[in-house]
Amino acid sequence: MAILNITYQGLSADYGFELDANLSDADVRRVAVEIVRAGNVPGLNLPHLGDDAFAGFVVDRLQGGQRIYLRPKVPFGA
Amino acid sequence: MREQRVVFCGVGALGSSAAVLCRNLDATLVFVDFDRVESKNLLSQAYVKQSVGKNKAEALKAQLLNFHGVKAESFGVRLTTDNVATLCAKASLLVDCFDNAASRQLLSEYSRKANVPLLHAAVSGDGTFGLVRWDERFKPDAEDVAGQATCEGGEHLPLIGLLSATVARAIQDFLKAGVQRDSMVGLAAVTPT
Repeated sequence: MAILNITYQGLSADYGFELDANLSDADVRRVAVEIVRAGNVPGLNLPHLGDDAFAGFVVDRLQGGQRIYLRPKVPFGA
Repeated sequence: MREQRVVFCGVGALGSSAAVLCRNLDATLVFVDFDRVESKNLLSQAYVKQSVGKNKAEALKAQLLNFHGVKAESFGVRLTTDNVATLCAKASLLVDCFDNAASRQLLSEYSRKANVPLLHAAVSGDGTFGLVRWDERFKPDAEDVAGQATCEGGEHLPLIGLLSATVARAIQDFLKAGVQRDSMVGLAAVTPT
């Protein structure tokens, strides 16, 4: 079981799923829209989430790919 | 003489706020930033009105001394390939709070070459999310538009405060115990990753 963590508008939530090794970053963004819309991600209740809600978001794969983070870009600091 | 030396690269919103929260450390704090304090920075950065017009690195050094009695060092220059080794010499820890991918990359390359630990701090343009991540797991994100501005008003201040405190926590845990902890920071929570 892998974990997909989704961060949107300052809120983060985990979703457990069976990992497909061939899942591309674009697939992650598309799947995330579907599961959030369906109400399957506790804490993220956004039934009207747009198809492009995660466009430009970054996909990080940590812990050997068992934890996937879908998050906004973070270009800033100073 | 203090043995540990923490070099903050970029002392804008995150760097200045995190540095102030490291004033309790028995370490030399070093600030690197070429930029100047503008009045619009007062709402989101650790600067006071009397620092407007001054170089940020020098202003932060002066504020720490005048308000807290803490001595620091400052370099009011832009980090480049020509000076990175000099500015970061003898560092125990590098802290990246830059606002652009090129400078972050330059610092990463130096850190790996010189084998100096590097902690990155970064915030999203909309001020809803930030990362604190050690260099081994960090890749810089590019701006959507070159020179894109953020954090100029005060609307992101609570997130900046939470993120800066998380950066300071990571710095202190590393210096005291060698712990390297990554975190994600959202509007309402700090999550270890």
